[in-house]
Amino acid sequence: MQLRPNRAKDKLAAGEVAIVVGGMSDPDAIDAFGPIANANDIAGMWLEGEHAGVDASTLGNLTRACDLWGISPVVRINENSQGLIYRTLDCGAQGIVVPHVNTAAEARNVVDGGKFPPIGKRGAYTSRQGHGVSNYMNIADDYSLLVILIEDIIAYQNLDEILEVDQIDVFFVAPSDFAASMGHTGDINHPEVVETMNDAFRRIEAAGRNSGATCGQAEIPRYLDLGAKFLLTSIGPWLSNGAASFMDDVKNH
Amino acid sequence: MPVQKDRTTPHHRKAIHEMQLRPNRVKEKIYAGEVAVSVVGFTHPDDIDVFGPIAQANGIDAVWLEGEHAGVDHANLGNLTRACDLWGLTPVVRINENSQGLIYRTLDCGAQAIAVPHVNTAEEAQNVVLGGKFPPIGRRGNYASRQGHGVPNYMELADDHSLLIVFIEDIIAYQNLDEILEVENIDIFFVAPGDFAASMGHKGIWDQVANIPEVAETMEDTFHRIHAAGKIAGATCGKAGLQRYLDLGAKFFLTTTQEWINDGAANFMDIVKNH
Repeated sequence: MQLRPNRAKDKLAAGEVAIVVGGMSDPDAIDAFGPIANANDIAGMWLEGEHAGVDASTLGNLTRACDLWGISPVVRINENSQGLIYRTLDCGAQGIVVPHVNTAAEARNVVDGGKFPPIGKRGAYTSRQGHGVSNYMNIADDYSLLVILIEDIIAYQNLDEILEVDQIDVFFVAPSDFAASMGHTGDINHPEVVETMNDAFRRIEAAGRNSGATCGQAEIPRYLDLGAKFLLTSIGPWLSNGAASFMDDVKNH
Repeated sequence: MPVQKDRTTPHHRKAIHEMQLRPNRVKEKIYAGEVAVSVVGFTHPDDIDVFGPIAQANGIDAVWLEGEHAGVDHANLGNLTRACDLWGLTPVVRINENSQGLIYRTLDCGAQAIAVPHVNTAEEAQNVVLGGKFPPIGRRGNYASRQGHGVPNYMELADDHSLLIVFIEDIIAYQNLDEILEVENIDIFFVAPGDFAASMGHKGIWDQVANIPEVAETMEDTFHRIHAAGKIAGATCGKAGLQRYLDLGAKFFLTTTQEWINDGAANFMDIVKNH
């Protein structure tokens, strides 16, 4: 077998924007979404394990459904733990997202968990993505995508040193925790929050690194203008808009 | 038929909280003359839980759990229907076979409504009632259903709360429609285009074959006759087909999240590409 391409990573390498979609908890839902993703050039599926139920016991089936359609399974984990990072990769993730990375040492810990020696300390194991791939250990590091969340004011204060850590593919600037850490809980549009986030995006781009953002349709231009190359969006608004539109027709008949 | 009181019940068991049987939102709506809408496309309880507030904000009544063609079965029905219960959404389960045992086990696991495919004769419709209702109406096996936990008079109330849907989706069902419509305790006669067209020699995608003149005409006559018999019709459609079926008097709708996700993805990606 050839190691499966990582569509999100390939897009970033080509200077393109990679779109990742969140909101599906079941392999059958991902399987039904596959043709829609491919028709619309969606690169990845966000599997939520920081706050929702994605874990080692569900990852095999969830990531297999992604494999079938060539969509990168990107898994957000709950803790910056080397063991959790490489077990998540071993279960089939092609991308790892680590929340609340606030220092260069914490960013390096992500690399230590996510890459094999000599780069990091990932434990040697035939990952699910490695079944039948004879040279898996030699090429896995080139295929895995590491995303860290810049989402605390302390991470902003340490941004220059964090941006010097190699092997991090995406520096993802997330608004909610960012606002909360600045004393503006729930107010992601507070001018101070917006300006600080905007500056973070600009500094990521200035350092020659990729930034990531989470947004609905309305905020796409803002983040693309800020240079974001990795966008997370949710099917929630799509369901909501579709439901509202359908039910409007029922009610207005 | 009243449930016999168990006079040997130990004293401590009286502390069990008595529950009301959960309302069946679809059943209440259609018998109030309103339109009820169910949505298919969810295969995980967490996804239903996320959809809950969207359903409530938009007046959606039910989640359609697909067990004729997809993975819904007794192993996952408890968790799937519990997520529906939490938001007052009626769990409607389409099963794979017109089997009395399958019908009542599906109700026992938490379904509030059963949809049975390919019901072609009055006898087959009667079989759905036999599986779906307790004696003396039917032959549903005696069991405290998951929906009945803590409901002291479950057996007395269950038949009024359960909803039975039969699929009119073969030309032979159309030919037998008058006798099928005479079967009592069927709540919804659901006219489905895909198999209907196939049985008339027109295989194709369900929402396209519904527009073939011969199919459209037969289906329309089916809706009219369901209506004329004083019964309630169901239909499946996306946004484009809605007016047609509302005009035909359908009171129960099945629509899918696929169209919404598809539209949402296309709109989102258009903005990305055109930026």
